[in-house]
Amino acid sequence: MSDKNRYMKKSEIITFGIGLFGIALLTGWMPDYTATFFADFAFKGKGFDPDMMSNMISMVFFVAGIVGAVCELVIGYLVDNTRTKFGKVKPWVGFGVIPLALISMFVFVSPDTNNQTFAIIWMFVIYSAYTMACCAVESPANCFGALCSPEPSERSSAISIASFLRSVGQSGGMVVILVVGLIMKALMGEQQFKNAEGQGLDLVISTGICALGIILFTMIFFVNNKERVPFTQEKVSLKDAVKVVFTNKNLLMVSLTKLCGFGRGVYGTVSLYIAIYLLGSKDLKLGLLLPMGIGTAVGTLLVNIVLKKFSTKQTFILFSLYGASSLAILFLVSRGIGFNDGLIIPFLILNFFCGLQHGNTNVTPNIMIADCVDEIEYKTGKRQEGLAYAGYGLFSKVASAFTKALGPWLLYTWSGYLVSADANVAYAAQTDGTLNKLLMIYTIIPAAFVVLQAVPVFFYDMVGEKKEKITRELIARRENAGAEN
Amino acid sequence: MANKEKGFNIKIYAVISFIAVAASLLVICMLTFNAKYTAFHPEKVAEGFVATIVSGGDGYNAYKNTVLSKNDKYGDFIRKNYIEPVVTRDGKNYSDDSVKGEKTLGDDGSLSGELIEKMYPVYEELINKYGWDDYDSIFSGYIERLIAVREELFGDSFFNDEVFFSTFEANVARFSELLTGTDEVFDENTGVKLSDECKGIYEELYGEDYRFIIAAENIREEDTEDYKKTADTEKLLSYGVNADDIDDVLTVTVKVSESDTVLAEIDVTLLKIGRSYYVDNTKTDTSALYTFYVK
Repeated sequence: MSDKNRYMKKSEIITFGIGLFGIALLTGWMPDYTATFFADFAFKGKGFDPDMMSNMISMVFFVAGIVGAVCELVIGYLVDNTRTKFGKVKPWVGFGVIPLALISMFVFVSPDTNNQTFAIIWMFVIYSAYTMACCAVESPANCFGALCSPEPSERSSAISIASFLRSVGQSGGMVVILVVGLIMKALMGEQQFKNAEGQGLDLVISTGICALGIILFTMIFFVNNKERVPFTQEKVSLKDAVKVVFTNKNLLMVSLTKLCGFGRGVYGTVSLYIAIYLLGSKDLKLGLLLPMGIGTAVGTLLVNIVLKKFSTKQTFILFSLYGASSLAILFLVSRGIGFNDGLIIPFLILNFFCGLQHGNTNVTPNIMIADCVDEIEYKTGKRQEGLAYAGYGLFSKVASAFTKALGPWLLYTWSGYLVSADANVAYAAQTDGTLNKLLMIYTIIPAAFVVLQAVPVFFYDMVGEKKEKITRELIARRENAGAEN
Repeated sequence: MANKEKGFNIKIYAVISFIAVAASLLVICMLTFNAKYTAFHPEKVAEGFVATIVSGGDGYNAYKNTVLSKNDKYGDFIRKNYIEPVVTRDGKNYSDDSVKGEKTLGDDGSLSGELIEKMYPVYEELINKYGWDDYDSIFSGYIERLIAVREELFGDSFFNDEVFFSTFEANVARFSELLTGTDEVFDENTGVKLSDECKGIYEELYGEDYRFIIAAENIREEDTEDYKKTADTEKLLSYGVNADDIDDVLTVTVKVSESDTVLAEIDVTLLKIGRSYYVDNTKTDTSALYTFYVK
């Protein structure tokens, strides 16, 4: 990229990533640990009906999912109608992050009540409030990539580096709670730490640190980064806005990759059982996830290199084919070696290579959506980052719901998995047929969905000359508009 | 322009926001910690200690609130004083893999389950004989029998902390379940029934909707110097507590009642060390908490 085509300061690329890292630090932390806090600590010792509480906690997250999906579209619409001197996305991130940090903290401050109904209402209200605040910050932040530079190759680099830092941030909470635990142990002694942990106080402190992290990192982004693609002045009606999500062919194809590939994630459901039955120890579950996580992080950076030689369409298809092949190889190698100790090392190594493909699904669709936003602006004169990313987010949420339904069905029904009925035996012996099906849920079934996710991309055409033409035309239009003003 | 609007300074906004939110988070964390961390509140420490025992005759876990656990993790205290001396004895390490026999290596959990079953009467016998205030006799007696029973069952003399804790804690849980009863348990994914419903002694005595009220009353400040003169300083030192570290001594009367009937009442001695309160297990007699449910 020549300097002439460079719009962003080098530091901006990093601070964009730092901003996403900060947001992911808190939003990656919240769902799982909120569930733990609600279930185990919020109303400990209050004598509430445990079955009722556990059902209600599931319901809290179900309702929050619906609230999140609606908010995704509403915030997208509001972002597209935001006109400020800071831009359309930055105010949402820079100002929204304060209520988000405080509401997140309040999720972990449960009321001291003996009234179960009040406790349940509180859980619904506080977590829905968190979900709304989260949408108001996370969704706009995710679409900043489309605004950071009018030059597609520059914004591709920025999106890919920021996606890498975001994926690191998502696991940051695990490091925070580890460090908080060590400090608390050193200050309080081992048993007193255990007692405090038993009251969920390590979760409270860790949430405080993650909330402080989001403010610090987001403010760095807020101060240093600029939106460099001017917004269009036309107001967008809600009807037209929603129409965009479903009628722009390229945007729809990118969103459909999520829906067509929904079964990619079913491997997560079965990873514990793969560790136990195929590798011999449940402790190896972390061993399974770690190489895959490292593979994903490396894959995120690798995509950036591949994108310099190939188009987004080619990159997506290439990585999808690679992903399916790597999963198929993992299946064949596992069958070849058999389910014994000898499988552990090859399995973990291949797991790293399987993880590389996830870098593609983390980065490339975001770059494609930014290109789609250009195409929509080119065709309609309206720039709608908010809704374009919201539409993709909506499809992601639907896909995630399908994954959550398919995974347990495959594991507990299709595979013929036998649950131990002996209180002293944690995991019952499984038949060879079931073990093979467990392996398939981890490899071949996700591989099929990885291939399926690439199908819509064959119809995606915002690449090559068309993309260059649109980019040139938009830059010229903006220059003309700037000269007129 | 005369009324030129002052520009919004984004850097000042960022700094002020960070400081304001950091201060707010700090205050929220401190208030929550102060409210929830029971060790700062003498009445909560005493109630928590009694509640743990009453919840299921669980004198074992109640020690986590005592001065015994001030410096060491409770589990580490047991490891150091009771398990390690028998794991390494006669110049041999009985936790070494080479000690494991065929049955240990091939156990899928069935034999360990049998061990738990065989040790339960031993557990019951020891707590009835000594009571939980004499943890020393319970742990020593239990481990001695556990080694013998395990050797008979598995055919080897392998022993480590995991063998002790998994067996002992299963016995503690079983004792609690006999008092509280258990619900039917189903596997959450398949709906397969894992265990039947069982009515507990508490339900039989106080009805299905029994609810114990545990309330601290009458908190009295004791003369710290007098306490230090009569305290078992040797035992306190074995917990890593020097008598000079004790800032205050309190006695809290805790009543256990159900439907306005007082079932038990004990005096809990608390030691204030730094900002935290600990139950003094060397001075607190808990026997009344194990007798109100005996038919």
